[in-house]
Amino acid sequence: MPSPDRTDVGRSIRSRLSDLRTRLVGDTGDDESPVRTDGGATVSRGSAGTGLSDRLRSLRNSRFVGSLPFWLPPFLLMGLFVYGAIGWNFLISLTDMEGFGDPDYSALDFQQYAELFGSEAFINAARNTFVLLVAFTVLCLVLGLVLAILLDRTLRLQNTFRLVYLLPFSLSFVVTAQLWAWMYDIDNGIINSVLSLGGLRPDWIGNPQLVLGAVIFALVWQFSGYAMVVFLAGLQAIPDEHFEAARIDGASTITMYWRVIIPQLRGSVISALVVLMIGALKAFDFLYALFGQYRPAAGADILATLMVREAYSNQHWAYGSAIAIVLYVLALLVVIPYLYSQYRRGAL
Amino acid sequence: MAELSLDGVTKRFDDGGNDIIAVDEASLEIDDGEFLVLVGPSGCGKSTTLRMIAGLESVSSGTISLDGTVIDDRQPADRDIAMVFQSYALYPHMTVRENMSFGLEESTEMSDDEIRDQVESAAEMMGIEQLLDRTPSELSGGQQQRVALGRAIVRSPAVFLMDEPLSNLDAKLRSQMRTELQRMQEDLGVTTVYVTHDQTEAMTMGDRIAILDDGRLQQVATPLEAYHEPANRFVAGFIGEPSMNFFETTVEDERLVGENFDYPLSEETRADLGDATDVTLGVRPEDIELVDTNEGDGEHDFRTVVDVVEPVGSGNNVYLAFEGDESASELDMDESRTFVATIGGLRRIEAGQPAIARLPEDAIHLFDGETGEALHNRNLDDTETIEPQL
Repeated sequence: MPSPDRTDVGRSIRSRLSDLRTRLVGDTGDDESPVRTDGGATVSRGSAGTGLSDRLRSLRNSRFVGSLPFWLPPFLLMGLFVYGAIGWNFLISLTDMEGFGDPDYSALDFQQYAELFGSEAFINAARNTFVLLVAFTVLCLVLGLVLAILLDRTLRLQNTFRLVYLLPFSLSFVVTAQLWAWMYDIDNGIINSVLSLGGLRPDWIGNPQLVLGAVIFALVWQFSGYAMVVFLAGLQAIPDEHFEAARIDGASTITMYWRVIIPQLRGSVISALVVLMIGALKAFDFLYALFGQYRPAAGADILATLMVREAYSNQHWAYGSAIAIVLYVLALLVVIPYLYSQYRRGAL
Repeated sequence: MAELSLDGVTKRFDDGGNDIIAVDEASLEIDDGEFLVLVGPSGCGKSTTLRMIAGLESVSSGTISLDGTVIDDRQPADRDIAMVFQSYALYPHMTVRENMSFGLEESTEMSDDEIRDQVESAAEMMGIEQLLDRTPSELSGGQQQRVALGRAIVRSPAVFLMDEPLSNLDAKLRSQMRTELQRMQEDLGVTTVYVTHDQTEAMTMGDRIAILDDGRLQQVATPLEAYHEPANRFVAGFIGEPSMNFFETTVEDERLVGENFDYPLSEETRADLGDATDVTLGVRPEDIELVDTNEGDGEHDFRTVVDVVEPVGSGNNVYLAFEGDESASELDMDESRTFVATIGGLRRIEAGQPAIARLPEDAIHLFDGETGEALHNRNLDDTETIEPQL
């Protein structure tokens, strides 16, 4: 079809439409006049004198005011109890508050932070936190992925096995910590009972070289089921044809997973990663339950336990607050890239 | 080059103790460069057959061989085949180029440069060279389809396997791709097995079509053979749109007696029936002539009333009910009470109008009422004279 015809048709339709509009609304303004569809069009447009009643009406009709009852209460609650508390905590960390009595807000400085970064205990705890974070997260992801792939391959329809691996995740930290405390017991624990057959008797919890590894192992045991479920959901969303196409394309099982399937699990990896890393940062309850006190065995002190110990055992409130802020910044470092990637993909 | 042959191929699925036979003793010879279409209703085993050729399903018994070599126990990658999936199965995280290169990287020893050249020439052939650096999510359905085809072409396999590759496209694009696919296959001369449930695709694309029903091969023939000389009632009803009309009749002397009509047979036709007593009379819609009410009084003319008219532009599908058949005009009538005739698009006809339907004897098919076997197919000697005369 030659194009001039088409534009003629287009023009005549447009001119007929504008005729129609002129007749209907008497508006002869040009085509570009904005069309308001949000119901606010009747307000204020063309009204010369904006009296008080007009302004009230516009206020009542505005979307912002209308939506207030829906978002304002949770906004205030979150603002006060979460972000307000964080702000206050930061303020305290700038004072020298210790022991009983009110903080002195007149002299604010970063002295606590300076002390913190110079303290060996803090450096130690930070290093342990980092090791725990990385080792725990990586092991959980790998183990979870392997379990998910095995389950997806052989037992696509059987939910029982999924439950078996997920069960530890449903248990409380306190319960699993007690369980592992018994397992790791140097004399009566089941692990050493087995190892003693070979003449070994490691002190899992007492030995500073072993204790962090033992804690990581126990946490991985508890969390890998979660990672597995996340991966399994991701795997089952991949159509069979992708596996088949890869087989026809000549990929071996390993290259098929490595090049075709696992890259498609990017979303699952990110979700699992964030939950696991946050879990590692706040592993305080597990350690507290495992050792029964604020002070874990040497070699297993992490920022979370150090923070609680400084604040509640030693009543170094300002110092504890400073540790809390450091921990908070670490958590932000984990969450912000996630939120940013979600935002970039338009999922937020 | 590549001759594919299936010999007694059977697929049994185990369904909690009882076997389900998905494909029953299918034997087929597919010549080098031939375009064979496997067609049938859903669940007939056509996809399973294709997947057995691809090696995605094991063969329960029988053998599949390529150029005389049995390939049953080979991995899909070692069968020298390429497959196009209904959902395209493009890898979403890879660009078009990576999608097309993947098979070559995994299954050949080619250098990166050779792979790039081959991918680019295949992309050029499919007209997608400007899309090479996009990911599948940035492509339209038709473009994804081209990429899926390109991914198969680039491997220059001995056999193309295609599993309903056009069914996710809209109607316009589908007919366009149909032609393009045929041209491409002709150019490349690669043996192709094409699965579809769409009989139009089967008719228009196939060098030969293999019609499957319930796991059994019903007929393997050229499209026109299947259309004019169906082996049985299933094939006759499956091929052609609108479907062939069937009337259940019994043989009485030289006549077929149906519920609403007597149909006298010539001696010749009668001889084909042998001693069958229950016979299904089949006649294609375009072979039914509608003649003037005052001239139709021949022995093969029947008084009918027009029930529904479906104009399709080039013609009209006219649904007719035998005159006096009260139940035909009731609202809850089942479809078998009416039969359909196709007449020229310019002829005006309206519902409720009486009409005389002529069922010419040289256009009828007769099927055994029990087995469905074709006993008599239409006369093809004087094809010219039995063109629809409307």
